[in-house]
Amino acid sequence: MMPAWLASGLVYASGLSLTAGGITLLYITTRTFNFAHASMATWGFYVVYTGTVLYGGTPYRWLPLAFLFGALLGVICYLALNRLLLYRQANTITLMMSTLGYDLVLLSFIQMYCDYLTYSLKLFPRRVTMSVFDIELFGTSGASIILPLTAVAVLTLLHLFITRTKFGTAMRATIENSLLAGASGINSDWVYMMSWIIGGGMASLGGAFMAMAMTGTPVLGMTTIPFMFAGAILGGLHSLYGGILGGFVVGLAEYAGVYFLAAQAGSWVLGYRMAIPLLIMAITLIAFPQGLAGAWAPMVSRLRGLRRRGVGA
Amino acid sequence: MSGADRPVSRDESIWQRNDVIIGLAMVAVLTVIMLFRGLPLVLTILIDAAVFTIVTLSLNLEVGHTGISQFGRVLAVIAGAFVVGAVPGRLLAFFKGLPYGASYADDAVNYKVVPELSDLLASSLPLSIGFLLFCFLLAAVAGAAVGWLTSRPAIRLKEAYLGISLLAFGDFFMWIGHNWEPLVGGTTAVFVPDPFRVVWGSRFEVVVIVAIIVALLVYLYLERLTKSPFGRTLHMVRDCDLAAAVCGKDIVKIRTQSLMIGSALAAIGGALYVIYAGTTTAIGFTRLTWTFWPWAYMMLGGIGSNRGVVLGVLMLTVARTLIITYRSSLFGFLMAWGIDPMWLEYTLMGLVIILVVLFMPHGLVPAKVESILPADKVRRAAREHGFGETVGG
Repeated sequence: MMPAWLASGLVYASGLSLTAGGITLLYITTRTFNFAHASMATWGFYVVYTGTVLYGGTPYRWLPLAFLFGALLGVICYLALNRLLLYRQANTITLMMSTLGYDLVLLSFIQMYCDYLTYSLKLFPRRVTMSVFDIELFGTSGASIILPLTAVAVLTLLHLFITRTKFGTAMRATIENSLLAGASGINSDWVYMMSWIIGGGMASLGGAFMAMAMTGTPVLGMTTIPFMFAGAILGGLHSLYGGILGGFVVGLAEYAGVYFLAAQAGSWVLGYRMAIPLLIMAITLIAFPQGLAGAWAPMVSRLRGLRRRGVGA
Repeated sequence: MSGADRPVSRDESIWQRNDVIIGLAMVAVLTVIMLFRGLPLVLTILIDAAVFTIVTLSLNLEVGHTGISQFGRVLAVIAGAFVVGAVPGRLLAFFKGLPYGASYADDAVNYKVVPELSDLLASSLPLSIGFLLFCFLLAAVAGAAVGWLTSRPAIRLKEAYLGISLLAFGDFFMWIGHNWEPLVGGTTAVFVPDPFRVVWGSRFEVVVIVAIIVALLVYLYLERLTKSPFGRTLHMVRDCDLAAAVCGKDIVKIRTQSLMIGSALAAIGGALYVIYAGTTTAIGFTRLTWTFWPWAYMMLGGIGSNRGVVLGVLMLTVARTLIITYRSSLFGFLMAWGIDPMWLEYTLMGLVIILVVLFMPHGLVPAKVESILPADKVRRAAREHGFGETVGG
């Protein structure tokens, strides 16, 4: 029997690790800090919500669709925006701002979609407790078992894809050194496209996960995006696995920290829960101004006996 | 993004200049709005534009002139808004012997105390003016303090890292405002004593005039500042911080100064906004409205161009207000689906950012490149030192 904070903490942390992993992946391939992760995550939640409310059943069967929808949003962002800017060698801030514009457009569509659901289907999509659709497994909520396992499965697949397939090797080559990869005949266009597909899909999947642990609102992604960034920065913005781990640590630390602090100091702590991930991020940045990349890389390479280099390092 | 690599063309006629054309177009649009919808709508546009001009100009000082990726503009605005919501009213209450402690922000007490204070202010014009100036001063001090505080851990970071940490700081303050009720009432609003009660009959007009004057002063100040030696130092740090360091400039100090000045001005904008609205609502200060929208205004106007920023703010404020005003007649097809056309505001802002980034990276009124020394001076100096014909032809 899992304590309640751990159950929802695991769900939330799995979601955050997927989103932070997506942010890291997009950053190491395309140098883009993706603000649109916010609305992509919210869209993932609304895909699952719509499917569950309209067609019944558990929310879990709609997760693949959420992934596909996020991937679609990612592809649109790449083809319409990111690709052009990458060809122009735009700087980091320009890339970041372009995704912010895309995020606002997506946010407006989310709000309009909510209006539509409210009006035509008489639903209440602006304050959703997804956990009411959950099933019970082994005496605890199904989400706390199914979703972390799903996250592990997705990440294992991703790992296999990156390490065992030819395309994955091409992706790693482009991340390591895009110029050399291009010279050896790898089409970086496809690599960037693929990372937007994976990154977008992970964002939507992560949003759908997080909605199982917290109240689903049209600004779900908007409120959690600093935490996604926190996870990615803790992971060092250097390797995909770092981002995934960073997101998980940040998410679980928030739930655990709030639970134990509230037990000590009283329930007023609950309102300040977001201080924990932001504090983790601030400490990381103060201690390692270039992110943990500089601090972890030597350790990782010593452990694994091979030297990895971040893009642009 | 700085606009520094744009060629200078000096022999433009005044009718070929974007800023003149857009400025005149805006005046025309405002006149048409006034004729068809009356003065109040124009005044609403003007007060919104004035407040956001202050905030966006301050953002432009940090982003456009210093090269700091400020994604936490909301933080300084909040500092100004909260301090004006929390402190001056309490001081007045203290001198009048009304409750001024934590209970001041309690909504059951606050709605009785503040009207008494407003009446007190209404009784004397000098007191009202003094109160207003005190609010601005307090906001500027609070803003500068917050700017200094955030600069400490953040200033050594680069580009996107700096932007994201500033964004996180802004969010953190927002949550404090939402949760810590004794400050400004948490999720309920705190009323602000009204220094414009003195001119009750024409309060709205006077507020608009004061706001425009403040915005104009901020504009003139920043124009002077960015053309001064200090401004050129800021540009140097923006364009190449290594070169600035080589020239003996303390980059961290200069960035900190820019952040403090920018934050103080943004805080004045926040103070003006809450005094105009009469309430401080913590929930109203969001990252979207007070960080992302100023970014959109600035990008449309032209990053680094003070004049462009003013025009960008005016254009988008007019566009936003028109969407809201004509939502039923223009976007009735959306309302048939139950969709509120208000959300088109978000679409507009997003599209503006995207289109500017893709097609107009320097904005409507690109920042002019100022050479630090005019070419003839360089030539003369070269001749004096015997380089003669080799430099500058």
